[in-house]
Amino acid sequence: MLWLIKFAMRTMMPRSAELPGIEDCDLDGFLRRMRRDSDGLYWLGLVVGALVFAITPILTVYLPLPAFLLPKKLLQRHAEKIAVTNLYLLRNAVFLVRLSAGMCWGADPAVRAKFAMKPYAPDPGTFRTT
Amino acid sequence: MTHVAFTPRGEDVELEADWIVVGSGAGGATAAVTLARGGERVALVEAGPYRDPGDYPSSVYGAMRDMLDAWGSNFTRGRAYWPIVQGALVGGTTVINSAIAVRTPADIFEQWEREHGVGGAAMAERVARAQDVIEQELCVEEVPVDARGRSNLLAKQAADKLGFDNHYMLRYIKGCLGHGQCLQGCREDRKQSLNRNYVPETLAKGGQLLSCAPVERVLLNGTRAVGVEGRFKHPQTRDKGARFTVRAKKGVVVAASVTRSALLLQKSGVRSRALGKNFRAHPGTPVLGVYDDPVDMNTGATQGWASTAFRSEPGFKLETLSLPLDMLAGRLSGTGAQLMDRLTEFRHIAMWVQACRAESVGEIRSTLSGRPAVHYTASRADMARFRDAMHLVARMHVAAGARAILPSVYGMPYRLAPNEIDRIKDAPLDPRAYVAILSHLFGGCVMGADPARSVTDEQGRVHGYQGLVVADASVIPTNLGVNPQHTIMALARSFAENLLQ
Ligand SMILES: Cc1cc2nc3c(=O)[nH]c(=O)nc-3n(C[C@H](O)[C@H](O)[C@H](O)COP(=O)(O)OP(=O)(O)OC[C@H]3O[C@@H](n4cnc5c(N)ncnc54)[C@H](O)[C@@H]3O)c2cc1C
Ligand code: SF4
Repeated sequence: MLWLIKFAMRTMMPRSAELPGIEDCDLDGFLRRMRRDSDGLYWLGLVVGALVFAITPILTVYLPLPAFLLPKKLLQRHAEKIAVTNLYLLRNAVFLVRLSAGMCWGADPAVRAKFAMKPYAPDPGTFRTT
Repeated sequence: MTHVAFTPRGEDVELEADWIVVGSGAGGATAAVTLARGGERVALVEAGPYRDPGDYPSSVYGAMRDMLDAWGSNFTRGRAYWPIVQGALVGGTTVINSAIAVRTPADIFEQWEREHGVGGAAMAERVARAQDVIEQELCVEEVPVDARGRSNLLAKQAADKLGFDNHYMLRYIKGCLGHGQCLQGCREDRKQSLNRNYVPETLAKGGQLLSCAPVERVLLNGTRAVGVEGRFKHPQTRDKGARFTVRAKKGVVVAASVTRSALLLQKSGVRSRALGKNFRAHPGTPVLGVYDDPVDMNTGATQGWASTAFRSEPGFKLETLSLPLDMLAGRLSGTGAQLMDRLTEFRHIAMWVQACRAESVGEIRSTLSGRPAVHYTASRADMARFRDAMHLVARMHVAAGARAILPSVYGMPYRLAPNEIDRIKDAPLDPRAYVAILSHLFGGCVMGADPARSVTDEQGRVHGYQGLVVADASVIPTNLGVNPQHTIMALARSFAENLLQ
């Protein structure tokens, strides 16, 4: 499942001439933390979103193949079309994957530097115990 | 001073107080401090942990993990699934909000009196008196000149040019530095969220605080509230801890938020046909402008400019709102190379929002697992308000010199040229075309004179019960058309003052 989520996120936020892609960020670490920390419902939503992304090329590029077997150009077309499909449930499922990818990418120090922003301080996760 | 945080299994906690307050957000913390100042022994019981500015996260991921109720995964169930955002920590949603302070408009009290038999001039006066004091205590001030940031300045210029009333915001913030991180909690400790003032004052006055302590049930003896019980929950591991029971000599004030208070009362066996009913909200949607020069919207106050000129007619409020990059990146439409291309413009984007004074009414029910399920669908009339408001925001961007407008509506082009913004007038009226956010929530335990249609009376006392009061946004029987924290705190203060008499 983790592999499918990573595949969807990498397709959604690839490296470009001007910006690092999510593959340049610590995606493994991010997903490990998210799996450990997140509310079960959120993680379930992410898994469902990644599954939807993987199994819907039949609806977008009309090929009975999972997304990870599509050639690069068709995969890109699939990614663009599934994000704006008029099937609301599917659109929302994929939106959650993109939203989560954005959280990983936008918090990366190298990405922030591209926009003249300071790196984030760590999230301490601490609280008063007494 | 006593603070009992997460306690592992095996050491059950038992306490006693005059009054128990459930929830330490805008309503709960205000009610608690008012009772403590009146000499009462208060036990404040909060589901979330107690975090100080040094504990606050920086990233959006950290904010979802450490501060939001259910990871921000609550959403409306209806025609569209819109996120419902609330805080779950000591201080409640005041820790993650923008601290905008707006007085309750006078017409609201007339409307409550006309439609619900509560309110009127007497309540207006009580609320105004409370708001005078709260403004002093929480240092309400206008966004300082140095903290305005370009997005807020552009919005002001645009509204002035279009000729409608508008202003830099008044906020509960002392010496804002314009770091634009209000939504993750102010690590600079400038924002006067209630974990920084009313909660510590309650403790200093002899109160007790249980954190990481979600109340499962209000204990009733017949129709009298006599205590609460629950089980500690660890904020990181979500492990269940010890059981806790707090006994109340005088009563229980419930302030667990709109999505939680009604469910808690229902689960506790409180009988009222109006419980969970009359849910309302101000759904908000953004319109983005792309400018030639960098806007750097995360520099300057997170929300620093507003207009209430259209509150009565057609019924919306306009505000600036700077989303962090790690939130906006996933919210821009598009994927792949197209999305990355769009993101290169981030520094040039200003985001302004409309908050709709929606008339639609929903209901809060419980899922099988006990989570809140908010059934809500915005009506066509409300969607038409959305559209009018978004068109006006687009006009503002054009007036401010934007080179492109990003309407963020499904079914519309991603980007409109300034001379194309009238296309927004034909935007779809289907709620599914929008990703609206619900952050101003009302109802679920509304006040009113008629016990068949309301849960509490005009002092927040639950009809037919003794020693049971509700003091959060769930008592508010209508929308307000303005940001609610000031109204919630003033009502909570006046309800608590009434308990002292
Ligand atoms: C992002 C955002 C920005 C906002 N900005 C503004 C603004 O600038 N100005 C403004 O006026 N309003 C703003 N609001 C709205 C405002 O913050 C809320 O309306 C207000 O805080 C609601 O107050 P409340 O007391 O009803 O609930 P909350 O403040 O949400 O407090 C409820 C508390 O009860 C606790 N709780 C829940 N269940 C239990 C239980 N079973 N046991 C114990 N504790 C429990 C919760 O953990 C929480 O801490 C904003 C909201 C959001 C989400
Ligand atoms: S804008 Fe920055 S300094 Fe000002 S209150 Fe918000 S987080 Fe604090």
